[in-house]
Amino acid sequence: MHINRLLSLLLAGAVVLSLAACGSPAAGTATAGAPASSSQQEQPLLLADDPLTPETAAATTYPVIVTDQAGRKVTVSSEPRRLVSSYYISTSMLIALGLQDRVVGVENQPEKRPIYALSAPEFLELASIGTAKEIDLEACAALKPDLVVLPLKLLDSAESLEALGLTVLYVNPENQQLLEEALTLLGVATNTQARAADLIAFSDAQADRLADVLAGVAKPKVYLGGNSDFLNTAGAAMYQSDLITMAGGINVAAEITDTYWVQTSYEQVLAWDPEYIILASDATYTVADVLADPNLEGCTAIETGHVYQIPGNAEAWDSPVPGGILGAVWLAGILHPEQCPADETAEVIDEFYQTFYGFTYSEIA
Amino acid sequence: MNSIRPSMALLTVRSHKTALLCTAGMALLIVLAVVSLFTGKYPLTWQGLAGGDGMQLRVFYTLRLSRTAVGLIGGFALGAAGFVYQTVFRNPLASPDVIGVTSGASAGAAAGILFLSGAAAVTAASFAGALAAMGLALALSALDQSGKQATIVLAGIAVHSLAQTALMCLKLTADPERELASIEYWIMGSLNGISGYSIGGNLLLCAVCVAVLFLLHRQVVLLSAEEGEARMLGVSVGKLRLAVLLVATLAVSAVVSLTGLISFVGLLAPHGARLLTRRNDAGTMLLGGILGGVLLTGADILARSVAATELPVSIFTSLLGAPFLIVLIVRGRKGYE
Repeated sequence: MHINRLLSLLLAGAVVLSLAACGSPAAGTATAGAPASSSQQEQPLLLADDPLTPETAAATTYPVIVTDQAGRKVTVSSEPRRLVSSYYISTSMLIALGLQDRVVGVENQPEKRPIYALSAPEFLELASIGTAKEIDLEACAALKPDLVVLPLKLLDSAESLEALGLTVLYVNPENQQLLEEALTLLGVATNTQARAADLIAFSDAQADRLADVLAGVAKPKVYLGGNSDFLNTAGAAMYQSDLITMAGGINVAAEITDTYWVQTSYEQVLAWDPEYIILASDATYTVADVLADPNLEGCTAIETGHVYQIPGNAEAWDSPVPGGILGAVWLAGILHPEQCPADETAEVIDEFYQTFYGFTYSEIA
Repeated sequence: MNSIRPSMALLTVRSHKTALLCTAGMALLIVLAVVSLFTGKYPLTWQGLAGGDGMQLRVFYTLRLSRTAVGLIGGFALGAAGFVYQTVFRNPLASPDVIGVTSGASAGAAAGILFLSGAAAVTAASFAGALAAMGLALALSALDQSGKQATIVLAGIAVHSLAQTALMCLKLTADPERELASIEYWIMGSLNGISGYSIGGNLLLCAVCVAVLFLLHRQVVLLSAEEGEARMLGVSVGKLRLAVLLVATLAVSAVVSLTGLISFVGLLAPHGARLLTRRNDAGTMLLGGILGGVLLTGADILARSVAATELPVSIFTSLLGAPFLIVLIVRGRKGYE
């Protein structure tokens, strides 16, 4: 606990220092104008750590050096025309950045992600380059990509891919901040900075709106049932816990500090006595299963019927996808219908998918 | 081999020492059972239970009591079945995995997680997997008419590998975020999902099988003899061995299909018992069962109380069991064969 806090403080300090060091001039270097002369001297641009904003976004001048989320400095020599991604979150980012026409390879089993069928059906026919846990090096090289986007878990493949002459960027969108960093990285590397800035601004604006309308309201206790099992839940360090907090709820499992799903017991759930039970988007069991579970008899959420599942019609809103903020927007509508009425929630969700993915969510939900 | 040569002296619980050890073991088991009944995340109080607090009574009867029962009976069955395996195979390393039962249970559970829904279905699928593995191992061994003991071990190894391959294929097709995680959690083994609504059939089967094993205790001990000797004593070795293994395996299947894999109990409890009694008789089998119950109940108490989350019970069966076994071996090496 103390070590974690100390680390957080050190990290926070480091972030503040780096921001101060970069300041506005550094953000300014992310503009197209600055390196016009320097590019002639082949002095590539170094990316600032700040997330892009509509003010700082500009056209990327190549070659550009970016620092990816593995901390590697990567030179992207020209605007990439052929992209591959082996991780559903980064693949979804490429769609949100309007790059779907340039994507030539995606992860295995794209049919499992409804967002592809809705906004980039051509992905279902694309060649597969592996999974988020294992990359098919040959298949990847055969596609002759200009840029390979991989999750941090696949860092071991970096050397092999570089040896094949490929440009690789690692992303690690594990929470909202890292997601914004990943969007900034991809926005600069693929010359879609304005779009990345809009995406980030959308999420930030919704987070601010929720904070405003939910200021001072009573916060109900929420239990989040995991994907694989109702008795799996997310502790404070997980993205899902942030989502509950942002939506104006209290995660009953916040005392748990693990960074992955943890096992709990019926007894523990009864002792927490949540007022709302929320099921993860990809839960292998249903709301009806939970309501009918005799072991949960007497739990407030069951007695009041407050059991809901995070919708997964487009994508899992309890994962840090570009539209992840919609999970908090949707949950706030469930927990605080007075402050966040249903029509307003639906409007926000529609606006997001129309703007960044080109379909109307309310038509498919 | 002298110590496990069948003789009238070894066929009944006559040893004063064994009786004493069993009594002490039972006392420890009872203490642990009481501790288990009052250890858990939901705050239970005597006043609440006596005063008829509906919620507390529900937690006590459907969750706490059933979890304790599975720890006691399940641990006892694993210990007693382990004794049977080691005796019948005359091999101190024998365990249900020798004939692929636990691998079969894992593969069955994985199939249940992938293709069925609900905890009861996974338990049923796991049980079916364990039975299928056992049936296959016994059928394969029956192909060899010579009735050699090694045949069943070889058949078991083949079935174990087959079940592992099936498990790997199932894992490969599983969704990494949901199903694969479920399979891994299942394999880790835990008593956290146990409730009064899900254990009835399994515990009953388990208790019946254990009772049958004790009724057959003379024959079990006879099976540890050289085959020639057993035959001379009028035992149909091949059939008896199959029958005893079948019953022991049913008991193990009933437990692991409910809890997931639990390591070490089936191996350690009978060893511990033999090191303590220096015998190989029904009393030792009883003590093996008691030690199994003590180990699983003790481990489960720790699994649910040392952290804010539920931990896999096998971590504690190994942590508690290994030092105990080492102490026993160091102290009793001379007298143990």
